[in-house]
Amino acid sequence: MIRFKQGNLRIPRFGRPVYVVAAGMTDFRKRYPEKATEELGVEAVRMAAEENDLKVSPDELRGMVNFCVYSQFADHFGDQLLAEARMHDALGFDPIGNIGVKTGGATGGSSVLAGAMAVASGYASCVPVIGWERMDEVGTREGNAYIASAACKNFESELGWVYASYYALMAQRYLHEYQVPRATLAKIAVKNHTYARSSPFAQAALKITEEDVLKSDFVSDPLSFLDCCLMSTGAACLFLADEETAFKITDHPVRLTAMAAGSHTLRTADRRDMKILLLPNETPDTYKNMKHEWPSFSSFLAARMAAYLAYNAAGVKDPVEEFDILETHDAFTISDIQTYEDIGLRPYGRGREFIESGDAYYEGRLPTNLSGGLLGTMHSVGATGIFQISEILWQMQGKWAKYHAEPKMWERFGKTKPADFRNLQVKNPKRGCAVSHAGTGSHVTVAILDKV
Amino acid sequence: MSTTTKPGVRPLRESKDGKVTLDGSVAELDGSDPMVIQNPKGFVHHHSYGGLAPFFHGLAAGKLLGTRNPNPDAPDQRIWLPPRVYCPDTWQKMEWVEAPTVGRIYTHSTVLYPGAPFRASIPCPLISVEIEGVCTKLMSYLSEGKPEIGMRIKAVFNTTNPTHTILDLSWIPV
Repeated sequence: MIRFKQGNLRIPRFGRPVYVVAAGMTDFRKRYPEKATEELGVEAVRMAAEENDLKVSPDELRGMVNFCVYSQFADHFGDQLLAEARMHDALGFDPIGNIGVKTGGATGGSSVLAGAMAVASGYASCVPVIGWERMDEVGTREGNAYIASAACKNFESELGWVYASYYALMAQRYLHEYQVPRATLAKIAVKNHTYARSSPFAQAALKITEEDVLKSDFVSDPLSFLDCCLMSTGAACLFLADEETAFKITDHPVRLTAMAAGSHTLRTADRRDMKILLLPNETPDTYKNMKHEWPSFSSFLAARMAAYLAYNAAGVKDPVEEFDILETHDAFTISDIQTYEDIGLRPYGRGREFIESGDAYYEGRLPTNLSGGLLGTMHSVGATGIFQISEILWQMQGKWAKYHAEPKMWERFGKTKPADFRNLQVKNPKRGCAVSHAGTGSHVTVAILDKV
Repeated sequence: MSTTTKPGVRPLRESKDGKVTLDGSVAELDGSDPMVIQNPKGFVHHHSYGGLAPFFHGLAAGKLLGTRNPNPDAPDQRIWLPPRVYCPDTWQKMEWVEAPTVGRIYTHSTVLYPGAPFRASIPCPLISVEIEGVCTKLMSYLSEGKPEIGMRIKAVFNTTNPTHTILDLSWIPV
């Protein structure tokens, strides 16, 4: 769609407030044969029920559930159709109704949106959203082929069978248009791997330098192995509730104030030029000297659309000023810079400044991906969008250290807390944002969370 | 009773003497603690290109076919490549037209670590092709030469031993 009509840009609003009350997750590993998929799901849910200082017992919490949402990207990977039913059974939730949600890499975000819609509409009052991906039954090259099955099989997949190449085409064009040095991209990989070192859940807590990223072999130029996200196995879970139920469960729920979805063509090739959809912190003047087409290969219209809707729904005027914490879908270093622009952290063409200025760091104006993100901690696809909001929930509850700093959390996953561990609890975060993203930008959700 | 030898399809066997027997094949083990078994895949999908088949027939005949909306009221009358059977702007039926076989490289990336089923040799430079009068930027590959943004290129067709996939189209520098 290159021309919007009146109904297309309606601002989505929840019919009643939606809260996030608890979160849980497993650790994330390249291979996890020690545990079957349902075990991972049950462990994430148990952690949410048992370790979130809730006012209700796990049994009482189970008694409040009246709908479930399951989040798994690819039936191919787990090699089990209707895996949702197996998970639901393992959790003992039958005969409560449930749905599975699938929107590629944004499956986690879309699942939270589906759960939020259930609560906001009054259909349900307490909804666990449970996500996972079992990516370890096949080798890496076969896994890349499965992921590339989420490109157009007629016109794209045969061209490489690897998603990194489809992003690399966008990356090459972006770097051509805006002359961003690869060293800037490397800063993002180093930042997120460094933060992953403080997460007991992380798959790849690598001690790396910018030099290491620049010297890393290319998968598809200009993207090297260290510019690309992980392929992970693991699970994550959130509980959503309406206001009355939320305060029965915890004194410290976080409000999911707004959440919205956007989309764009699966094939990057099919993206026609259009007028920039402006965010509240932009005016036509912002782009009066713009030399390049939009959204072209340099921008994600889906992310811009989701941000436009969510910001207008939540009244966000200036994201860098108003957000205290952000989780982006850093599948590739370059797509992170593109996303900074799509969600208005910087105008188009100036995304690099968000990382180069220091804004994106723990010490900066808007700490981003303190979780370690997809580059350093995990991309267990169906779990990813849920993992992001889990980390934001704990940050906003001031409980990040409980889940990351305690030696017993590290021991649970057979790890030792490293000497360079840092406490990454943000000081009193009040508003957070999470971006979940699929394809080369086929689906994106933006969630805005507020402390209450 | 079928004696098919399709990949991944075991022939049907009749029980004898009222006893059910196994065929002797096993799920191979990777390890026994925990038990990890191997489930090979190899079924054949019979995938139809449907209304887009003319495009792939065209490649085998050395032609680059796109589609356009012939309706004078259509908001976008440029050629679509990849083609579309129906116009996404209006849901009207498109018409087939021959697209220009010269263009420019809009962007590129050389694949060095392809996924498992990749048929071409590496390094393989993927390209997105900008063509005059075409509203899309077709993904393809450069079968000769080193790609650069803005480079003028022309289409070449693999008509001798077509793969019946998008790989039958590639480009070379003009």
